[in-house]
Amino acid sequence: MKVELYNAMRSKMSRRRLLQGATALGAVTAMGPMGRPAFAESHGNVRAEILKIPGVGAGSPTDADWQKVGEMCLGATKSNVAEGEFAGVELTFFGINNNGLHNILFRGLLKGWETYTGAKINWIDLAQADYNPRLQQSIATGTVDFDILAMGAPLEGDTASKGLLDEMPDWVKTQIEMDDYVGYLKAPVGTWDGKTYRISIDGDCHTFAYRTDYFGEGAIGGATVPKTWQEVNAVSKAVIGQTDPLTGQPAVGYLDPLKGWGGFGFYFLENRAAAYAKHPSDPAWLFDPDTMKPRVNNPAWVQAIQDVMDLIAANAYPADQINADPGTTGFSQFLAGTGSMLMWWGDIGSNARTSDTSVVGDVVGFGINPGSDKVYNSKTAAWEETYNEAPNMAFLGWGVYVTNRVSGDEKKRKAAWSAAAHLGGKDLSLWMSAYPSGFQPYRNSHFQYDEWEAAGYDRAFIEDYLGSNADSYNHPNAAVEPRIPGIFQYYSVAEDELAKGYSGQYKSAQETADAIAAAWEKITDEIGRDNQIKLYKASLGL
Amino acid sequence: MSNGDLLHVVTNDNISPRRKALGRGIIWGSAALMAVIAALQTLQVTGHGDFGFVNWRPTLYAYCLWATCLCWAQVLLHGEHGKRTLFVLPAALFVVSLTVFPLLFGLLIAFSSWNLSSPDGRQFNGLDNVRQMWADPFYWNAMWNMVIYCAAIVVEYAIAFGLALLLNAEIRARKFFRVAFLLPLMLSPVAVSWMIGKSMLEARYGPLARLGRFLGWDTPSFFGTPDIAKFTIMAMDAWTYIPFMMIMILAGLQAIPKELSEAAKVDGANGWRNFWEITFPLMLPVSITAILIRIIFKLKLADIVITVTSGGPGGATDTVTSFIFREYRDRSNVGYGTLLAMVYLVVIIIGMTILMKLAERWTRPQT
Repeated sequence: MKVELYNAMRSKMSRRRLLQGATALGAVTAMGPMGRPAFAESHGNVRAEILKIPGVGAGSPTDADWQKVGEMCLGATKSNVAEGEFAGVELTFFGINNNGLHNILFRGLLKGWETYTGAKINWIDLAQADYNPRLQQSIATGTVDFDILAMGAPLEGDTASKGLLDEMPDWVKTQIEMDDYVGYLKAPVGTWDGKTYRISIDGDCHTFAYRTDYFGEGAIGGATVPKTWQEVNAVSKAVIGQTDPLTGQPAVGYLDPLKGWGGFGFYFLENRAAAYAKHPSDPAWLFDPDTMKPRVNNPAWVQAIQDVMDLIAANAYPADQINADPGTTGFSQFLAGTGSMLMWWGDIGSNARTSDTSVVGDVVGFGINPGSDKVYNSKTAAWEETYNEAPNMAFLGWGVYVTNRVSGDEKKRKAAWSAAAHLGGKDLSLWMSAYPSGFQPYRNSHFQYDEWEAAGYDRAFIEDYLGSNADSYNHPNAAVEPRIPGIFQYYSVAEDELAKGYSGQYKSAQETADAIAAAWEKITDEIGRDNQIKLYKASLGL
Repeated sequence: MSNGDLLHVVTNDNISPRRKALGRGIIWGSAALMAVIAALQTLQVTGHGDFGFVNWRPTLYAYCLWATCLCWAQVLLHGEHGKRTLFVLPAALFVVSLTVFPLLFGLLIAFSSWNLSSPDGRQFNGLDNVRQMWADPFYWNAMWNMVIYCAAIVVEYAIAFGLALLLNAEIRARKFFRVAFLLPLMLSPVAVSWMIGKSMLEARYGPLARLGRFLGWDTPSFFGTPDIAKFTIMAMDAWTYIPFMMIMILAGLQAIPKELSEAAKVDGANGWRNFWEITFPLMLPVSITAILIRIIFKLKLADIVITVTSGGPGGATDTVTSFIFREYRDRSNVGYGTLLAMVYLVVIIIGMTILMKLAERWTRPQT
């Protein structure tokens, strides 16, 4: 769970709410096996117990809490590993060191595992901005000096494709109950050439956040919340010149970030493009899988770029939008009351209610990525006049991987996978989803709202916010990110070209898209076209 | 004892031929060892054999051994003179190790295709990167921006000179203002970026935007159009570094003997003629030094741009360094990024050499 969501819930807790939660939890526990939800049958007691640590409303978890939770979730490990089995084994864990999150959290959660198994873990902690360059340099210079790696799925193309990862043993799949993963995190995500490498510890997708006070009978945005990008643009134009019902400032519709964000900004054009370009019959939407020819300049993507240019031309954005990156649109604009519609990761949902700078907490609603009245079929090179929607699985979440450094040493290999499986265990994952960890829910069992409510969370908010995530995760036409080497190089150069297009340096959306396509072709040739084709197909499961 | 060196060397070095032979022996012996190890490692890396090397450390150790032997041999060969050489030689070797070698390796990379995501690793590609650079509008746009940014130094210099004159005058709270004017220089450019660029200039709630609205500017936007964005970046950079020029000029002003201006006054010179005929010419060497150093600072401009605009909108505020940063870091394009940096280095060296020659010529008549 994102820190902000946890803090939001915590701040909403009163003593009465806490007692209500405790009573509910007590009741659930007292009801015995019959009363337990089916999803948590074998774990119910542990799950309920760990959700009490430190307890909603009892402050942020400390290292002692992490250690305690880690220890309580050792059951699955104990069924596969004997006490002291890894004595003398030393493992190196590579990850980021965000305050209280990721590696910092893992240390505490793995403490009990270390004590039980006898293994020792050394840590390579990196600032988030240094993570990717350090990883790429390690790979390129053949100096991979870590055994366990916390990594986003888009980077599987840079690692799994180069044979740097160790294949997951079958016992791990059983231990972590992989079948519980939400739809889109199942294969091919986490796999390469049919082999499984990833233990998911996070889920990512962009969801639609909107201002409820803009929509409804007599509201300035219209009676209903837009369901398509065509409607989003129509509303964005319709509210020009009107007054924001909350802030009294000029009303604004959808907030597109027009400035790059180290490659991450491209996800936001993807949100629009997914509805036009991700055809249900075709898993590919960024490149042609047979040739790696970019599709970014096909009519679907050009339409997405044109939509943005139309809003620029209509003066539908706030004054400085050309310089607004996604951080600005999310935190400085939407949460501060500027704009009525936004696509973002889960953070916005939680911050809306809780952040000190948010003024939209009581007027925010959530949904999945808007769809489109038409979809482009790349195979027939023609538009189809039918409704299409495609949630954008932007970044695919974090996972824990084991590198091939341990492949030759069976004891070390088992130790590495055991540590990774502990972090990705079913029970531990619930705790990480419910308390600040940097990770979002990613298992079907995480969406059993009763557990959250029993632990003291606000049911209505959880249902709305997490519901939009669940609907996106399990959507049959989810736009899944290609896990090919250098994917962020493609995104980064696209941001530069888009910035030129948005600032009027290219004559049209088509010209902008053509410039992106040309730059992508260059990158593909640089990295190696044949290899990219092979890896792109593999990542799509073709 | 060496002839003509009596004041410095007082020991009598009787260096035997055997000692000299030993000195030469350890130099050439260690050099040969280094060459052999480096050659074997190169052969292994290029796939011509396996000699059991795991990494390049053996060559590094051989280099360290050779450097040590070279230093030791100076004493063996030249006695007391050799000891004097030892004051400089280790530092020289250290500098060579940390600048010349990386530069040579950098050149090697600059003429390679090396995208960190490519499974083929580094591949020599001749002049392909140069051709790519030649046709790269982003790079030349950044170069042109640098010309504009550097041209702004003239204005910065004028402001700095004015402030220095003020602080050199007998004004109240002179010491306070000297410290106060220096404060921006003490701030990290990243802090300036966030405090000013991202907070005070924020278009919606930033105080300067509010002031703009109060003054009748409907939609204040300090980075919204290419020209305004470029100007704002220049202003932020100037705000940070004008104090640096000001303090150098102030130091120069205080070194001018007061008698000169007093004599001019006696001769009937007014304030302007006093400044133009006396102060300004005398300040020329200091001014040119300040401007040259400022140009060097300016050529490194990147942090503010990266933090505030990422080079946008549409490359309007890009500097060469911020563009290389994106190319190298965001796109892992090590080969091309290195070539761009190398070309920039060459341009800077040539440019600065010409400027220094011109500066020397301009200042000669006045000094």
